[in-house]
Amino acid sequence: MSIYLDYQAAKPVDERVIEEMLPYFNKRYANPSSLHGDGDIATDTLKKARQKVADFINAPKADSILFTSGATESNNLALIGSALRNKKKGDHIIISEIEHITILNIGKFLEKQGFKVSRVPVDRFGIINIEKLKRLINERTILISISTASNEIGSLQPIEEISDIASEKKVLFHTDAVASEAVIPIDVQKVPIDLITLSSNDIYGPRGVGALYLKKGVRVNPILIGGGQERGMRSGSENMTGIVGFAKAAEIMKKEIKDEAARINLLRDKLIGGILESIPKSYLNGHPEKRLPNNAHFRFEYIEGESLILSLRDQNVSAATGSACSSKTLEPSHTLIATGLLHEEAHGSLLYTLGRFTTESDIDTAIEVLPGIIKRLRILSPLTPLDLLKKYQEAEK
Amino acid sequence: MKSTSYSEKVLDHFRNPRNVGEIENSDGIGKVGNPVCGDLMWIYIKVGKNNNGEEIIDDIKFKTFGCGSAVATSSMITEIAKGMTLNDAYKISRNDVAEELDGLPPIKMHCSNLASDALKAAINNYRKGTKPDIEIITSCQRELRIILGIDEFLGKGVHEEVDDLSIFNNKRVLIENTGNDSLELALELTKYTGRVVVITSGKITPGSPELKKELKHSDVKILYESELLEIKGTDDVEKVVIHDFDEDENYELFVDKVIIL
Repeated sequence: MSIYLDYQAAKPVDERVIEEMLPYFNKRYANPSSLHGDGDIATDTLKKARQKVADFINAPKADSILFTSGATESNNLALIGSALRNKKKGDHIIISEIEHITILNIGKFLEKQGFKVSRVPVDRFGIINIEKLKRLINERTILISISTASNEIGSLQPIEEISDIASEKKVLFHTDAVASEAVIPIDVQKVPIDLITLSSNDIYGPRGVGALYLKKGVRVNPILIGGGQERGMRSGSENMTGIVGFAKAAEIMKKEIKDEAARINLLRDKLIGGILESIPKSYLNGHPEKRLPNNAHFRFEYIEGESLILSLRDQNVSAATGSACSSKTLEPSHTLIATGLLHEEAHGSLLYTLGRFTTESDIDTAIEVLPGIIKRLRILSPLTPLDLLKKYQEAEK
Repeated sequence: MKSTSYSEKVLDHFRNPRNVGEIENSDGIGKVGNPVCGDLMWIYIKVGKNNNGEEIIDDIKFKTFGCGSAVATSSMITEIAKGMTLNDAYKISRNDVAEELDGLPPIKMHCSNLASDALKAAINNYRKGTKPDIEIITSCQRELRIILGIDEFLGKGVHEEVDDLSIFNNKRVLIENTGNDSLELALELTKYTGRVVVITSGKITPGSPELKKELKHSDVKILYESELLEIKGTDDVEKVVIHDFDEDENYELFVDKVIIL
């Protein structure tokens, strides 16, 4: 493997999780709905797994956890399921301008179904404007969905405040916690959020499983119709192997999150310091403090992000960019544009995300290889000003 | 396909670009692209003469801001064009460059394959003294793009100009929205055939207010947020490949005629 600094895109499954899962492939494979003894054991396993995921977010009741196939489905169920259920109350939903593409596209889908979707703007750090949010709420508003943190630039949203506003106005509040769940503890008894999207892989569990947390009394209309599993809100035979792995990952994460986040935070600070110091005309995107401790999002003038990623790939470093050239639509990152960056500024962006298995030597290498890459691309670029080119040439002599 | 699924040749030219830099006292400069799109190419040429007295490209250099394929196409065209007569160099097409690189990801054919345009601009700059930056492209997806098959089927179902409307009798006609003229033609064609489709990259009905109104009440079908990617057929036009921006997917549509004014 490369020096992997793209933890927001995918995380490895923890060995302890894999070990826990193995028996469920071919030894304990019964369906919890079955009435035989093996089925009863499976029911019990499912119950315990549900409890562990509930504990992970300090939810008092295991039943508040619905297992799904992952974060995308949880977000679909949260938004579409709430919209359908509350149709009589209203037709207005509020999201932010920098939501994950899943939420943005669900928003578009709901608009086509006749719902009205407002998008709260963000400031230059990518943090939502709380006053604008308040003003957007009207008597037809049924749901606010704002991610706990931006999956791109890592900005942390004022979740507690939003939760207060939502409960005061009697509007449901959903948050997608996928980008933050491995580094920021969630406590639903402290912050009474109505619906939370969780993903297994994002806490080092297997892919293909996730959860939607529903506060007591909150229900959604199902979007998958079938045998009525998960209290009728999410049909389909339970993915026991995945759920067991997810639960183990949640158990480990709950225990280790504080120390792990602190360790990652230190490495991340070293990375940010090292890069801003060694590369002229480099900037940090997002908020300097109110950001995920595992996120480092940079912008380099005069160069383009895809060629940056390609060059890093040659040095065996894996990272991500918000450049248009790397996207399917050739549009630059909506998040960067929403924070007020110009298109050409958004092109030169680079995202490093750190995780459980990132080492100090990974960070050292990442800091070491980047200046040379940036320099090479800047020498190629017609946008690089003469004085900077001269500096590069002088340094070579 | 991923936008970065590049051939080895593209990667080689990206890693070791040939002829990087500027030429002092160059004879021609061509600048194309737009930093908004993420691609900007500058090409410098020095013109000389060969033994037959023909003008040739003696030296050529480039500077590029952009993705892997933008760098690779610039590098490649400097290799192809070096030593060529100006006349031949002017004929190098985007497809030629892409072919020499063993192909480009389809999405990059549109946006990051500007090197031949930059070279043409440089030659024009030398010959006619036109401004070097003659082709600033304002929109990445729309104006600067290749429709595959357009040359192959020209006169075989693809029309760049239209005189006799009767040839479209009962045909399935696709018209690219290239302005009010194309929309007026679409309306006119409804007298000859019931199957007129206008393709537009925008979200709303195109054209002047009057045309908009007429289009809405006509039998013209409009494909919004769409782009024509490819024209296909055995001898004549049989179908087209269309990209839907909203759904981000490609699909085929059966047509007999394609009009791009």
